[in-house]
Amino acid sequence: MAPGASQVSIRDLTVAYPGRDGRLIALERISLQVEPGEFVCLVGPSGCGKSTLLRVVAGLASRESGDVEIRVNRPGRPPTAMVFQEHALLPWRTVLDNVMFGPENRGVPRPEREANARRMLDLVGLRAFARAYPHQLSGGMKQRVGIARALANDPEVLLMDEPLAALDAQTRVILQEEILRLWAELGVTVIYVTHSLEEALLLGDRVVLLTARPGRVKRVFPVPLGRPRGLEARASPEFGALVDRIWAELREEVLKSAEAERRDPPS
Amino acid sequence: MSRPVRRWRLDLVPLILPALVLVAWEIASATGLLRAVFFPRPSTIARLLLAQVADGTLLAHLGLTVARLTAAFVLAAVPGVAVGLAMGMSRRTREGLDPLFALLYPIPSVLFLPLVSFALRQEEVAVAVTAAFTSFFLVVYTTMTGVQQLDRTVLEAARHFGAHGRRFFLTVLLPATLPAIFTGLRLGLGYTLIVVVAVEMVSAQRGLGALLWLSWQILKVEEMYVALVTVAVLGAVLTGAVEWLRRRLIPWAQDIAEVGA
Repeated sequence: MAPGASQVSIRDLTVAYPGRDGRLIALERISLQVEPGEFVCLVGPSGCGKSTLLRVVAGLASRESGDVEIRVNRPGRPPTAMVFQEHALLPWRTVLDNVMFGPENRGVPRPEREANARRMLDLVGLRAFARAYPHQLSGGMKQRVGIARALANDPEVLLMDEPLAALDAQTRVILQEEILRLWAELGVTVIYVTHSLEEALLLGDRVVLLTARPGRVKRVFPVPLGRPRGLEARASPEFGALVDRIWAELREEVLKSAEAERRDPPS
Repeated sequence: MSRPVRRWRLDLVPLILPALVLVAWEIASATGLLRAVFFPRPSTIARLLLAQVADGTLLAHLGLTVARLTAAFVLAAVPGVAVGLAMGMSRRTREGLDPLFALLYPIPSVLFLPLVSFALRQEEVAVAVTAAFTSFFLVVYTTMTGVQQLDRTVLEAARHFGAHGRRFFLTVLLPATLPAIFTGLRLGLGYTLIVVVAVEMVSAQRGLGALLWLSWQILKVEEMYVALVTVAVLGAVLTGAVEWLRRRLIPWAQDIAEVGA
């Protein structure tokens, strides 16, 4: 692909912050291209900075050096929208008002943003809950609202930070399928952080493995499985072989990370 | 999901204990177990109360107390919420005000009455300022703590979805802090009532506190009880009103408050 055609270009990105004993490097010289419409999953040992990488792309955390470039195809469209791990809905707003929040702040007129929000609620199956408040919903429903809120803001890139980590196993499987359906339907570019290899392989076009801190790109695995990927994909021998291959490399990093923690326990 | 319909119905459980106390008191007072001079029968007090409501004397005292209470509460609540929000949002503001406030807050505010009266030369203004004093700090610190305890992820998400500056304050920070603000207002209102009545006892000629103290001075004990009951009912009505307003303004925090019920 020609240079500049990528949806997201991360070049030589280094992120550091002041730690107990001087500068703590969270991410070191990360380079990554994400193509338009691609679904990229980030995996790595906990504390490797995969969430930090997502937050830098979202503009929520600052970088020390390097570049993050997000192509904006339609002017006025926000470059990113994040689905937070703990949903982070505004508890004083109804489901509908939460989904309208981004467009409201951008000055989209009420009839337009409401129609759009209702369409998104239809897409995530929550049409009947438009007037409910977040505390009246289950964990899975809250995260659906979180997804609808992000999609309603019509971002160039959808960022998802372990969105299903706090949910029970059954709900997680259902939502994984829904995320795939939405992605196929809307054609949005997705960067997805997860600690589950199975989830990464089920969802992603590519899986990016980060090293233990300081996080670097250890290897990028293309996922040669066809789509749609349902339960039968999980049962296929290729799927298992790929999990084993990635796990072999991830394991080294998890051990390194545990070793580092023993030497220097987190305060 | 439909909005739950709340029908008004009489719940008898909360009335059992007060009813038992009143009946026991009535019997004890009637049989001479309690000295009727100091503990007149509740039915006697009730008759006098109704009579004083009918001839307007009680309402005049009540009206004056409510007017003082309102003035003092507004004087405490409006600047209290503003300063509390500012202290919650800005560390420098907090550091600047906290030492002074820590010094002033524990002083029993009635002690200021002579000084404030002398400085302001306006008896009613002095009463309002004195009664507002401690409530102001209650509102400030409850509001400030409310801001400090807000969920950082929610605030970050709100910024991420484009709420900045004035918009952020009005559509995110303020509604998010509303439950804490209401807690502060409820505490402040209760405390303001206490101080208004206390100040009336020591310095006023009219008002419920004055009625109570002057009746006691001339041993019109039944009238003293009328004043006492009126203050109690006033307190309960005010608490109920704040609770009603809270339910109207913060429907989203309802079930949270009812956990464990």
